[in-house]
Amino acid sequence: MAKLGIGTILAALAAAPLLVGCMEFDPGLAGEIELGTHVSDWHDEVIYQLLVDRFANGDSGNDFNVDLSAPGKWHGGDWKGVEDHLDYLADLGVTALWISPVVKNVETDAGFDGYHGYWTQDFAQPNPHFGDVPALRHLVKAAHDKGMKVILDIVTNHVGQLFYYDINENGQPDENVQGGHCPSDHYEKVTGCTASSTVQHVSEYDPDFDTRGIQAYTSLGESGPAPVIWNYDPASNHMPPMPEVFQNRDWYNQRGRTLDFDVVDQLLHGDFPGGLKDVNTSRCDVKQAMVDVFARWVELTDLDGFRIDTVKHVEREFWRYFAQKVRQRLGPQGKKNFLMFGEAFDGNDELVGSFTKNDLPAADVLARENRCVTDGIPIKAGDQLDSVFNFPQYYSAIREVFVNAAETQKIQDLWAQRPKHWGTEATRGGAGIVPSESPVNFLDNHDVGRFLYWEKSVPALQNALLFTFAEQGIPCVYYGTEQEFAGGNDPANREDLWTSGYDQSRSTFLWIQRLAKVRRTYRALTHGDQTVVWSTTRKADESDAGIFAFERSGGDAGKGYALVVLNTNPDHPSTTEFQGDRMKLDPAVAGKELVDVLSSSKSTVGGDGTLSLEVPARRGAILVPRDQVK
Amino acid sequence: MIAASVLLVGGGRAWAQPKPEGGGEPAPPTPARSDGPPKAEPPKADAPKPAPPKADDVKAAPAKVDDVKPPPAAVDAAKAEDKPPADAPKPPGALGFTFGSYGRIIAATDGHGGPGRDADVVARGSRMDEANYAELELRRDDYWKKTGATTRLVATLGIGNPIFHYNGEFDIKMAVRNLYIEERGLGADGLSVWVGSRMYRGDDIYLLDFWPLDDQNTVGGGVRYDAKQGTSVALHGGLGQPMNDFYLQQSQRQLPLNQPGVAAVKILDRQRFIGTAKLQHVQKVGADGAGLKGVLYGEVHELPSGQRQMEAQVYEAVPANHGWVAGLQLGAFSGNRDTHVNLFLRYARGLAAYGPFDRPAQLSPDKTAAGAHELRVAVGGNWEYGPVGVMLGGYVRSFRDASPGLDYADLDEGIVAARPHVFFNEWLGLAVEGSFQAQKRGVLLPPTAPDGSAQAPNGPLTARLYRVGVMPFLSPAGRGDYSRPQLRVIWTMTVRDDGAKQLYPQDDPLSLRTTEYFFGLGAEWWFNSSSYGG
Repeated sequence: MAKLGIGTILAALAAAPLLVGCMEFDPGLAGEIELGTHVSDWHDEVIYQLLVDRFANGDSGNDFNVDLSAPGKWHGGDWKGVEDHLDYLADLGVTALWISPVVKNVETDAGFDGYHGYWTQDFAQPNPHFGDVPALRHLVKAAHDKGMKVILDIVTNHVGQLFYYDINENGQPDENVQGGHCPSDHYEKVTGCTASSTVQHVSEYDPDFDTRGIQAYTSLGESGPAPVIWNYDPASNHMPPMPEVFQNRDWYNQRGRTLDFDVVDQLLHGDFPGGLKDVNTSRCDVKQAMVDVFARWVELTDLDGFRIDTVKHVEREFWRYFAQKVRQRLGPQGKKNFLMFGEAFDGNDELVGSFTKNDLPAADVLARENRCVTDGIPIKAGDQLDSVFNFPQYYSAIREVFVNAAETQKIQDLWAQRPKHWGTEATRGGAGIVPSESPVNFLDNHDVGRFLYWEKSVPALQNALLFTFAEQGIPCVYYGTEQEFAGGNDPANREDLWTSGYDQSRSTFLWIQRLAKVRRTYRALTHGDQTVVWSTTRKADESDAGIFAFERSGGDAGKGYALVVLNTNPDHPSTTEFQGDRMKLDPAVAGKELVDVLSSSKSTVGGDGTLSLEVPARRGAILVPRDQVK
Repeated sequence: MIAASVLLVGGGRAWAQPKPEGGGEPAPPTPARSDGPPKAEPPKADAPKPAPPKADDVKAAPAKVDDVKPPPAAVDAAKAEDKPPADAPKPPGALGFTFGSYGRIIAATDGHGGPGRDADVVARGSRMDEANYAELELRRDDYWKKTGATTRLVATLGIGNPIFHYNGEFDIKMAVRNLYIEERGLGADGLSVWVGSRMYRGDDIYLLDFWPLDDQNTVGGGVRYDAKQGTSVALHGGLGQPMNDFYLQQSQRQLPLNQPGVAAVKILDRQRFIGTAKLQHVQKVGADGAGLKGVLYGEVHELPSGQRQMEAQVYEAVPANHGWVAGLQLGAFSGNRDTHVNLFLRYARGLAAYGPFDRPAQLSPDKTAAGAHELRVAVGGNWEYGPVGVMLGGYVRSFRDASPGLDYADLDEGIVAARPHVFFNEWLGLAVEGSFQAQKRGVLLPPTAPDGSAQAPNGPLTARLYRVGVMPFLSPAGRGDYSRPQLRVIWTMTVRDDGAKQLYPQDDPLSLRTTEYFFGLGAEWWFNSSSYGG
């Protein structure tokens, strides 16, 4: 009996390990996936920007190195947490999630953690703090199932602090002591150094910009280009960049820390302050690699767009190549209307808008750029990005007008420039939007203090929100705005959302919810052309101080019409009238009764098409013809 | 992901997460080992009370208490007792002090100048390449004529790798394993009660160094009743508080009453209770000592709620956790030459799915272990006839942590191993061993080749390896698969696939080498050390 039992069991045992195979990922979490187009018109979308580490912690299993005691540390949020709160976001009314970078980062540097995602170490690996590829896929799919889109934040300009310049050539990162004399004429010219200069301490991680590239230096003077040494500290993930092709030292400009962003050479080739090493994005192999790594993330997860970091620090030729090649690669796979909008942290509208221009470069330039093409599909157009983050408006309108109650004429002036500064044609195979009509508008974000930090007035915040939801473009809400967070500059503006309890009864949550609904309901607010009908240079006690009004009609809005009137004055009600001069509207609404869809109050346009409307301090109205009220 | 290691009690094997090995090498992480003390106990063959060995088996059978003459000191101690009345029950076994030990010692190379390494990918791999470990057990047995009871005090020290003559560090890695007292026959024949720290276990699979059904390492107590018809029932309850922040969190606070200085205050301080129940029946078949064995087994695990400090003045409620185990064992033994076979089936749920010394990780959204589960099916056996014998072992296991979806800690794994022996005479033998093991982990490899041509992974990471080993040995106690001591020459060759290599970090030799060798001299012994009692 024992022999028989052993024989039988032996046979079963021999087969058993081979049968270990019941572990299967859910469909769509493994293998290649089909890409789809989940956006019909980006004008209909409301973007919600979130920092994954701060939004929600859905998986305690990836909570390593979490330290809630300081805002500069890992806090434990992850993709699962985002997925768990999609209903919260849907209730808020947002339709597209802009998630912070997903790639593996430097773990910690100089006492600050890489929780934000902008310190890339490995372009191809997910950040284990946030989850794995199946978790990201699951999030994107869950969002799509709810009709929401997912936009990925990417960085092509730089990587994390992955190497140091061994200026003193002692083989270790340290501070190089220079001084007592000027090390070079160039240095003297740049810094004003004199022979009597005091000793200077130069960090080998983050030395000052040098057009020649960072130079080695000894007490006897310079000794040629400083060696670039990869860091190798697994614990802090200061490791050589990955994939391995990124370990080519020539892929980095090696010129040190940018001192003056107005100097083009420094702007484009300098390391980002903090030792973030600038990638040489003019190289063909770098361009190709960037397309490959980031298009791959779309192919793996079915993302719907890119928000691209620090675009002004990268050459236009790179954006032409990158944007067009990404579209050429994803389009045939079924990914249409893929949105790429960039971040140029600058108030210069011409500069910011330039990344959406599609001017065809000169033939010789185009020919040179096409030498980078390896797939046989040349770059034929000047197309760059589909849109940009509207920093000029942030400075001119949000900070100046809505926070500081400056004259509203600034807004009109800014808007008037946009068709000249921004692209006026949709990119080929791109998101299907005209850049100048589709800025990504915001009140604040992770790089600036929150609105309520600058102006501690919830009515002012809600008035500014009304502005971004009603103006032309795509509104973008920074996470925590709905909970009236008020943090200052980075990292204070990166609060943990869970401390709010995800309260859905807070007035600003309800306000955004309402604005999103109104925006969905009235097509004029998403597709109408935009005409300013009142702005003012007055900002004191005058009757129209702080008034800004514009119409949304025409365009693709059909017969839809909306009049948006805002009073940005913090002290008193204002009217759309000054010294007998009244606001004059589109003749099509002359004599019509308009209804404020936010308050239900009614106003009647005069037969001459004029309207005098009083608006309380820091309030606004969206008026539509009564026969269009829904 | 956070280390989701799930240790199987004091044996020190990581069930789910690679951990640095504390063995004879400078501690690079390996996929299936932990830095805890290696498990090292001698095997139990089959029935709790095997029939008296035949005369020609005495030398080959595992050493038993009554096989060993008590040392002079123990004899003297026994003499010092009053003689019991003629009708009193005879005291079982030897009285007085007894020394016992289990141990294994090895000197091996990997063929590249480094120490021989255990290349297993599964939690319980072949025993041939295990690291040094020894237990030193001191036992005292007394018989009390007034009550007819016997008292046994057991103290066992476990000694782990490395040892001084290897690394020159005049230090020792040692732990108290057993430290308990047991009363037998107090109040009723067949009744035993114990209190203390105890390795409390049932039957093992020798080849895999694995107790697949019941393997408790707690501080507590238990009671057992053995009926004369071969049925026994045992209950046990014990506590544990592993040193990790799932159980214990301390924070400094200023001393009270304005005294200068600080004191460590336990913010989270909770113990895991494990209760076990075991019903066992041994049915003799025929007159030659053969029999059948059946075991029903269960565990409950309870961990109370508590609170944890998140940051200064910020606290988080930590929920209670629960778990249970249900298990079954069916066995048969011939009563001759340790021939036996055992089949084990064990299912664990909730907290019990995680090893009791481990920090449960990858929890459910409510931060409990609810939903975690583990299924084990295992077989072990031995067959001997004349100069030949074969030992068998194998298991399949599926573990899912409490978090939804798959992650690194989720795994399926299995191994099958066989070790035939042949004895050329009473003291010289040769064993060969072959095994195959495979493991799947719930991870998808991220894209490493970003040119768009790389295929996305289609399923979880799968690791496989084959191993063959040859082991000539000396058996001074005579022939028998379980006869110890053994002095051995060990050679193994392990052929590993790419999946197995991917379980190791960059630059670890095991991440680079397809074929791994282990060649060395070793010895294994045991005597007077079976105090498990489970």
